[in-house]
Amino acid sequence: MQNAKDTFYVTLRTRLATLNPNRTMLLRGVQRPGILVEEAEAVVPMLPADVFVLRWTGLSADVSLPLVLARMECEILYTTGGTQPASGLDRGRAVEEMDAEILNLLRPNCAPKMNYTQTPPAQMNTPVFWSAADFTPVVTTRDRLSRSARVTVFAYQEPGEL
Amino acid sequence: MSADLSVRNYSPIAQRAADSLLRSLGGFSVSLQIPAVSASGDAAEIGITTQTYQQLPLSPAIFRKLRIPLSEGVPEKYELMISASAIQAQVGDLQLASADALFAQAAGVSVNGKFFLIEAVAAPEAFGKAYLYRLQLREAIPQEI
Repeated sequence: MQNAKDTFYVTLRTRLATLNPNRTMLLRGVQRPGILVEEAEAVVPMLPADVFVLRWTGLSADVSLPLVLARMECEILYTTGGTQPASGLDRGRAVEEMDAEILNLLRPNCAPKMNYTQTPPAQMNTPVFWSAADFTPVVTTRDRLSRSARVTVFAYQEPGEL
Repeated sequence: MSADLSVRNYSPIAQRAADSLLRSLGGFSVSLQIPAVSASGDAAEIGITTQTYQQLPLSPAIFRKLRIPLSEGVPEKYELMISASAIQAQVGDLQLASADALFAQAAGVSVNGKFFLIEAVAAPEAFGKAYLYRLQLREAIPQEI
């Protein structure tokens, strides 16, 4: 299942770098596309603004198939306060831009599963695929607008895979 | 953030006074934890490569518990006041643009071997320059599963 989670993140990150090269962040001294896996970064008291945060939540497995089908819930959280030049008055437009980016990042809804523990990463035999985004209502906290998109990610457990 | 916007020539008197007060009120040393090596690539982003940190000593500093209503399960909060001259020295050594950049990189603060997360940073100013940095900290507790 970890390979599926890694593949999902790397796919979205690569697509984001192409879709909006300006959405970047400086994290742990490295400039990179504005998307991160929450469980792979340091604990922070508040979500960073204008970046996508992947949070893995639910998990279930269908064991009645020849290969076990894992079904993982991913919450993509994002928050924005708009831009400084506009004094934050464009925060509605900023959150809408991020909504549109999510829709585009998730299309097409599949990718070949990769094993990133090997160098170079090795392609596996089955794909990772996911559902359409299910958006939650916008939550306003002071000057920030936040929303999350829930996606269900599916992957077959290949023999010998952790 | 408070600011003194009066038109006067810069004088480090506020910074020196703040340093003296911090020393006289305890003035011990704390460590800011920042990444030692900038790990990049897929493995670093998905938690395969272990991130190493370096400890930046900052002194003089004062550490105290904030008096907030206690409630079950809510981590206690603390305040750390650090000398602006100590911060500026580290900003210069690391060739960073500002103190904000330094705090943005930091994973947290180590006080007497205990680790705290940074929740907020404020810098009161005199003559347009920060003379003290106030950090609101929270105990780093394991996340609930």
